[in-house]
Amino acid sequence: MEARILLVEDDPSIRETTSLGLAGAGFRVTTAADGREALLRFRQEPIDLVVLDLMLPELDGYEVCREIRRTSRVPIVMLSARSDTVDVVVGLELGADDYVTKPFELAELVARVRAALRRASGAEAGARIAVGDLEIEPDGFQATKAGRELDLTATEFRLLLELARRPGHVFTRELLLERVWNYEYLGDSRLVDVAVQRLRAKVEDDPRHPALITTVRGVGYRFERG
Amino acid sequence: MTARPRAIQPGRLRRRLTLAFALTAGIAATALAAGSFLLVREARLDDSRDRSLEQSRFNLVLASEVLPPEGPEALLEAYERRGSFETVLLVDGSSFPSSLSLGEEQVPEDLRRLVADGQLAYERTTVADTRYLVTGGRVSRSGADEAYFFFSEEELWDDLAALRTILLAGLGIVVVVAALAGALLARRMLAPVARASTAARSLAEGLLDTRLPVERADEFGAWAASFNEMADALETKITALSEAQARERRFTADVAHELRTPLTAIVNEASLLAEHIERMPPDARRPAELLVTDVGRLRDLVEDLMEISRLDAGTQAVRPERVDLGSLVAAAVRARGWEDRVRLETAEVVLTSDPRRIERIVANLIGNALEHGGRDVSVRVGADGVGAFVEVADRGPGIAREDLPHLFERFYKADPARTGHGTGLGLAIALENARLLGGDVDVWAEPGVGSRFTLRLPVAKPLRDGEGGVADDEQA
Repeated sequence: MEARILLVEDDPSIRETTSLGLAGAGFRVTTAADGREALLRFRQEPIDLVVLDLMLPELDGYEVCREIRRTSRVPIVMLSARSDTVDVVVGLELGADDYVTKPFELAELVARVRAALRRASGAEAGARIAVGDLEIEPDGFQATKAGRELDLTATEFRLLLELARRPGHVFTRELLLERVWNYEYLGDSRLVDVAVQRLRAKVEDDPRHPALITTVRGVGYRFERG
Repeated sequence: MTARPRAIQPGRLRRRLTLAFALTAGIAATALAAGSFLLVREARLDDSRDRSLEQSRFNLVLASEVLPPEGPEALLEAYERRGSFETVLLVDGSSFPSSLSLGEEQVPEDLRRLVADGQLAYERTTVADTRYLVTGGRVSRSGADEAYFFFSEEELWDDLAALRTILLAGLGIVVVVAALAGALLARRMLAPVARASTAARSLAEGLLDTRLPVERADEFGAWAASFNEMADALETKITALSEAQARERRFTADVAHELRTPLTAIVNEASLLAEHIERMPPDARRPAELLVTDVGRLRDLVEDLMEISRLDAGTQAVRPERVDLGSLVAAAVRARGWEDRVRLETAEVVLTSDPRRIERIVANLIGNALEHGGRDVSVRVGADGVGAFVEVADRGPGIAREDLPHLFERFYKADPARTGHGTGLGLAIALENARLLGGDVDVWAEPGVGSRFTLRLPVAKPLRDGEGGVADDEQA
């Protein structure tokens, strides 16, 4: 069954062409022209992934992102007008998984969408990992801390799994972008930084002084051996 | 343009003013002191002479009364009662001094001659370290008898010496005080100059709100006021200029930004169209192909415009990471499928910089070389004493000498006939990015031989920290 994508974009031309492009790539597409409509559609239909423009009338992309994240871990790919300003970081901090900068190539968007769907799709083979009071079950696609299930997005879960599978190993941002986000070459390292921040907020005892996922300055991140 | 502070020793004028003050005061005081000393001396000496002569006249009258009847001893006794002078009497060829230290030989020759002529005369002389005013005259009625009176002027000369000492000390004090006053005044007078100098320098450095305090109603106050007027005018002008420039840049940014939405749609449409080109009727196919290509060019141009306006805005963040320059360049070449067209020679050079920007610069330089240089493009990565470098060389037609200085200008095209595929912004963006990383891009070219672009990057120098510190929220 093809994945159903909710495309939220206010510009009719971009909405139509992007919709055509996604449909051409084999996805089923539902469109919304503003933030309110987006939330309405999201509640009505089973959505597997959201492509979300940040600049929207009525309710902007951030609000939509925040609203969706309150109830769902569905992957969100943002369409951003600019990649250099804080809006991308804000979107990522609100729980978006990835972004594409306008003007984008349809092929690029399709690749980002596929990568996000792959992260969210199904279980991973592998044994349970336990570090301290943190337990990760790859095949159950869930993680618990002190017995309580952690509310992780697919991206956060994959990132945690990637790091935890090789404790003590230093992962560069490039490597994580390749493994978790499926970037073939030089993705935006802020994706990793923000995801690590969000992950820390959920798994660390004291997120300001992380003991589990530590920064190796100038290099990358490391999962500590218990 | 380097605004180097001029080589003026700040204290020089102050020293000169101080010296001038001291000198003027010194000369004036010396003239005054010398003049008053001479006047006082003259007055005192004249006074002493007049009093002595008057006394002498009286003495001679007394002598003519006493000498003939009572003899020289009685006269000396009479004189002694009168006090303050010594006497030498020459009576009938013998000498009668009132003191043992005096005698006929102590009476100056010139004086004796004058007295011999019958005059009442005087002369100053020193006897046994005592300065005397000696007066002399003939005793009337007794014929050849002469009387000489020695008035001691020691006290007078002592007074004069004391006066001289006082005047000299005063002179010294006046000179010192004048020098101090001069230095103080000079400092006070020149303080506004020093302030103005500092103010002018900070104006030159771009602190346009620099003003001088107008605290005095003198020439300096007026000067400060006009300086401030100049600064006002300058500030207004420069603010207006930079506002205009900012408006212009904002306009470019806005234009690029506004173009983005329709462009995104067009890019999408073109890529949808591209999938169907094969099935189009032949006469529609070529325009469709051209459309797809041109949309790509338009997209490149808008992206370059957006990037350069971001660079202009100065808000670009540098996200430093540890970078292996050789691998980065190799990966950039690989990612663009240039492996077969570029000869790569890399060494392991590790530095801390923003890999995405380096990648962009290197890709631009190599792309340029491939487009304009044609064959034999070689890329060398290494490090030397200056820092790390990526050298992109080709054996193409090279670049004309007159084009070299303009190569990094926006939209500069060396050959107007050659439209090329570039946006005309590539090298400008490359250079701006290189500078953002603390590096530079330089070019060597020789017509007919080829050209060589070199990206230079600092190895040790820490980068300006950008927003890249998302991950560095903890102590490392």
